Amino acid sequence: MDKKQGKQSLQRPTYLKVLRKNGLSFLAISPLLLGVVGLVGLFQALVTPKMIAALFRGNAVIDTLIGTLAGGSAAGNPVVSYLLGGELLKQGISLYAVTAFVISWVTLGLSQLPAEVEVFGGRFTLYRNILAFVFTILIATLTALTVQVLA
Amino acid sequence: MKKQNKISENEDKAFVFRGKYLLLIVLIIYGLFFIGNSQVAQLALHKSGNILMKILPVLLVVVLLTALFNFLLPPKQVAMYLGRESGVKGWLWVLIAGVISHGPMYIWYPLLEDLRSQGMKDAFIVVFFASRTIKIPLLPLMIDYFGLTFTLVLSFYLLVGALIQGLIMEILQPEI
Repeated sequence: MDKKQGKQSLQRPTYLKVLRKNGLSFLAISPLLLGVVGLVGLFQALVTPKMIAALFRGNAVIDTLIGTLAGGSAAGNPVVSYLLGGELLKQGISLYAVTAFVISWVTLGLSQLPAEVEVFGGRFTLYRNILAFVFTILIATLTALTVQVLA
Repeated sequence: MKKQNKISENEDKAFVFRGKYLLLIVLIIYGLFFIGNSQVAQLALHKSGNILMKILPVLLVVVLLTALFNFLLPPKQVAMYLGRESGVKGWLWVLIAGVISHGPMYIWYPLLEDLRSQGMKDAFIVVFFASRTIKIPLLPLMIDYFGLTFTLVLSFYLLVGALIQGLIMEILQPEI
């Protein structure tokens, strides 16, 4: 029995076999992906760029926090965050806030949290999102400061 | 030992749909919107359809890529390149992989879960996700909107920040 098992483990599966196995893994996760896509669509329908722009108050510190939270809650292609960020800058919103908004748009994702917990576990998701949140604010602050010094 | 058990557990896993409850909750929310405000529900459905159409080709690439990884790299080698013993090279690999990865974050979950079960460090998953903020195809657009200095400075801090986040993760969740 042991010999048979040992022989089987030595045999290398074909690419097609591996592909089939992976295809099944993706099929198994499809309800999770569909759920996330549905949530992202719902966020996009409910949260308009105008609503996001209205959140900012004109205070650099508070706006950086708002930018991080707004970017993390919003969903969609990062191009939208650039367009919206450019408009916010024109409206006089600080570079700190806009940078935080652009970063958190990609690194944080409220709508994909349930899927992240399911796949990687609660502890990992908590640590990763706290790190991403803190580093979004840090990187936004450092970037805006450095750009000001270099300008 | 724990990791080995995890690997064999993963190999023996039976086919089970995951995220059924999340999908069910989302469907209920859509149902409620269709009753209360069908315009929003239709718009959301339309947007979801568009997202799905956009991510499907990328998803297909990810499936093929995952299969290729599994075919070419047995778990032992994955652990060697992306595990505890990977050294500086491992950090650089995930940093580059994060920067060149395309599409939304969630379509990479299955591949990363797979690599994780074969020995990839959690710190590397953090680095991968953090470095994804740099989007190479979108760099010209970022330069156009925010300027070259801003883009270069931000990209530099993002790369350094991604590595530091990974190092902190390693302290928070040391690999056994």
